[in-house]
Amino acid sequence: MGRQVAIASAGFSEHASKRSDVSMPELVSEAIEDCLKNAPSVELGDIDAFVNGNMPAFEGSNIPELWMTDWMGARNKPLLRVTTGGTTGGTVAISGYYTVAAGLPGVDTVLAVAFEQQSQGDTSVGLASVAYGEISILNTLGIPYDQISRLLSAGAAIGVAAYQATTYMNKTKIKEEDLARVVVQNRRNAAKTWWAHLKMPNLTIEEVLDTPYVQYPLRYGMVCPASDGACAMLFTTEEKAKNMCDIPVYVNGVASVANESAVLGYDGSGSAQVDPSMQLGAIRSSELAYKQAGISFPRKEIDYAEVYAPFPNQQLLWTEKLGLFEEGTAPAMHEAGVTDFNGELPVNCSGGVNATNAIGASAMERPAEAALQIMGKASNQVPKTVHTAIGSGWGGSLNLITLMAMSDQPKRQWR
Amino acid sequence: MQKVGIVGYYQVKLYSDANYGHYEMIFEASRGALDKAGLKKKDISTVISCTNDYYDGRTISNCFTVEVGGGYMADESKVEMDGAHAVLYGLMRVLSGNHNLAVVWGGSMPSCYPYHTVRLYETDPTWERSLAYVNDITSAGFQMRAYMEKYGVTVEEIAKVAVKNKKNAAKNPLALKEAQLANLTVKDVLDSGKYADPVTELMVAPPCDGVAALLLAPEKQALKITDKPVWITGVGYNQDAYYLGDRDLSGCKSMNLAAKMAYNAAGITDPYSEIDVAELFESYAHEELIFAEELGFADKGKGAEINSAINGDLAINPSGGALGGNPPCATGLIRVIEAVKQLTGEAGQYQVKGAKKAVASGQIGMCAQNNILYVLEAN
Amino acid sequence: MTQRKSLDYVKKDYIRTRTLPGSWYLSSYKYKFNITHMKPFLEKLKEKKLIANQCSSCNRVFYPPRFVCGKCLVKPDKWVDIRNTASVSTYAISYLKDPETGEVQQRPMVLVHHDGADTASIAELSPDLDVKDTYVGMPIITHWRDERTGGLMDIEYYDKFDDDSDDLRNND
Repeated sequence: MGRQVAIASAGFSEHASKRSDVSMPELVSEAIEDCLKNAPSVELGDIDAFVNGNMPAFEGSNIPELWMTDWMGARNKPLLRVTTGGTTGGTVAISGYYTVAAGLPGVDTVLAVAFEQQSQGDTSVGLASVAYGEISILNTLGIPYDQISRLLSAGAAIGVAAYQATTYMNKTKIKEEDLARVVVQNRRNAAKTWWAHLKMPNLTIEEVLDTPYVQYPLRYGMVCPASDGACAMLFTTEEKAKNMCDIPVYVNGVASVANESAVLGYDGSGSAQVDPSMQLGAIRSSELAYKQAGISFPRKEIDYAEVYAPFPNQQLLWTEKLGLFEEGTAPAMHEAGVTDFNGELPVNCSGGVNATNAIGASAMERPAEAALQIMGKASNQVPKTVHTAIGSGWGGSLNLITLMAMSDQPKRQWR
Repeated sequence: MQKVGIVGYYQVKLYSDANYGHYEMIFEASRGALDKAGLKKKDISTVISCTNDYYDGRTISNCFTVEVGGGYMADESKVEMDGAHAVLYGLMRVLSGNHNLAVVWGGSMPSCYPYHTVRLYETDPTWERSLAYVNDITSAGFQMRAYMEKYGVTVEEIAKVAVKNKKNAAKNPLALKEAQLANLTVKDVLDSGKYADPVTELMVAPPCDGVAALLLAPEKQALKITDKPVWITGVGYNQDAYYLGDRDLSGCKSMNLAAKMAYNAAGITDPYSEIDVAELFESYAHEELIFAEELGFADKGKGAEINSAINGDLAINPSGGALGGNPPCATGLIRVIEAVKQLTGEAGQYQVKGAKKAVASGQIGMCAQNNILYVLEAN
Repeated sequence: MTQRKSLDYVKKDYIRTRTLPGSWYLSSYKYKFNITHMKPFLEKLKEKKLIANQCSSCNRVFYPPRFVCGKCLVKPDKWVDIRNTASVSTYAISYLKDPETGEVQQRPMVLVHHDGADTASIAELSPDLDVKDTYVGMPIITHWRDERTGGLMDIEYYDKFDDDSDDLRNND
């Protein structure tokens, strides 16, 4: 059962804080055109099925994949919609993988597309509405509305991630300069990526620290922007991929293990995660994905990583939880330059989510960029040869994660 | 296609205003499905849910349902279409060889929000939404009129479908109470309130609260879990053009193409004689006739001539179909479950005798823009 | 969140396409939930006593009480007593602008981990405590409201609990 799946191409649209020149379907078709441009032998008629996803609360359109059927070229073709909030892009990519791996008759080539046009709506309202149900329950159980609004503002755009930042910084004793250094590295990398949003080639640590706090310990200069953009990936079988591109990228391991919700539980029942920076879901996902991919020592076997880090503390956290570094050593590794562009294990050379965050698309852009690095076609291509790479996503109430492990060799084994 | 078996299921009784908490209903469905198969939480490998952010009143509607749906430390994802599409994703996960037990659940509670108003958000915001001519009910009116005019089908023949389904729902203990009308007549259907001419109220599948869950396993595991697994031998799904003017509304091309894909995989060449029972998700009575024609059960325009009663030549919707209760995001899943019940002989008063092969369908979008079809076979 | 003006980046101006204003409500919604599992807990709050429920399958203690134990997919069935001492497991500081005076208030929102429980709850600290003194692992104790009505606000806030033990400072 099951078969090898390869990524033949990936494409992006231009990301900006306001893509006021396109409507939502036009943004999606821009990404699809870029994806097909990178695989010139593929025509729209060669695509057997589609997968689509975004976070629908931001644009005021429910199930918009119905509207954009023709802009995707999906008329009278199979189409599935997968959405999971912040991890949407990752789950759409994973769904594209599963559509090919399942081996349904006649379904060999799948186009997965994830997008977001946040400028169409109100980002903070869209994000705050995660907890409307739980907050109204807390209200009924006696907590007055002004305390609840403090709870909501303790989130704002950052949401519950601030709580995770506090415990992580407490464990590793890092300072704000360490966080600012990560931000500077990300934004400078984004300057070399053609589709990124915040291109700041001359950013310095002092400039980042010179902004007010949005949520202790994170400052305005450290948090991700809200972008409009789309991303598309082409999945296909091992045989067909060889005709579509020079270096097909094989998807060897996928996982998206969920955890109990943190900070706000369902029905207002409190946080099941006492320490939100433990992230059992991420640890378990990496175990599952690496086992599928035949990776036993991730630190040495993985050449490149794109981790989902809208906030700089998360870049350090995920590199530990996903098995790349030992617990608590990520800040030291970062300071020593291991994760630099020229380092042993470059991380987020596209600028990461810290420089571009179109929420529906950003979790797909991570495996897409990692795949392009393996193919040698990334816009900020690292000097070392990349054979194995991972792309991760994160979202929900600190409880959802996605992980895709890829390599230039088909390594997926079934017992 | 490798064989994948449905090994357990559970459906919560449908209410128009359920006295349940949202998570309570989800827990009842997922726990019920596990108990029916005699499995434990730790056996679960992956969970696919089907909810809709707008119907749940919050974004990321799956992040708080992880615990109650059985997704803790399981590979979890969410499909935002009909419950039948979630079954497709669960099926793909099992077929890939990565997972040995998939739980698929879906449902919502339309008593919490004005259903037909929220359906407006599906429309194209740049053109259709501001004009407000096209919404879920007027589009049904367009399709019913197109179908009737092209083939000369009368409104009484379509009303007969509603009568049959509501009578069947009266035999289904889990159907919506307001839809269980054992003594309904064609005149009652035609006299019920006009929604959008010629669609009347009793021809519309009533939205109600409900959640359902089912379990999928690969062939080897399915045979160990239960002695009556139901095999999914074929699946097809297809999405039509969006704008109503780009489609031929007197038929349903996406259902036709989905059926071709499913029949091809299942090796079905003569659907009318090979299929014993069809559970179709019909949001309006006329859709059942259109689907029956597209599925090859009758020629175009002759859908009303099929004897689709429970003891007829080809039973269609013996459980009452969506006209017996339409919980958004769960209805297609319930159709699959009802087809499974027919094939395992557990359908009680509405059992079709000797059912061996069944089809089940789901849909999403105005005038059934995206359709999915399963071919199911008994062990 | 967009950037402040002091940070330059390549900003591209796009030609505007046609736009149409619209509005939508995610909030004209009625949420349904079941709180029968909270009733015994809310009753005991009037007596200044804290109880939590426990899942007999994994022995985890849930404070506040939970409807379903996610790990085992069963309902917790036992009630246990919980001490009113706790520690801060994590916190975040919100900055709220007072609409009348215009000054920015800093209030910490803490996740409180009661001794004996396996989950944490959201709460506030005493208004007398300085924000800068909050740290992970700080021992705190419930401060009850004088008039208790059987709602979650019967715990008005948490006071700092003066415990000099060294092992409470190293939170691992």
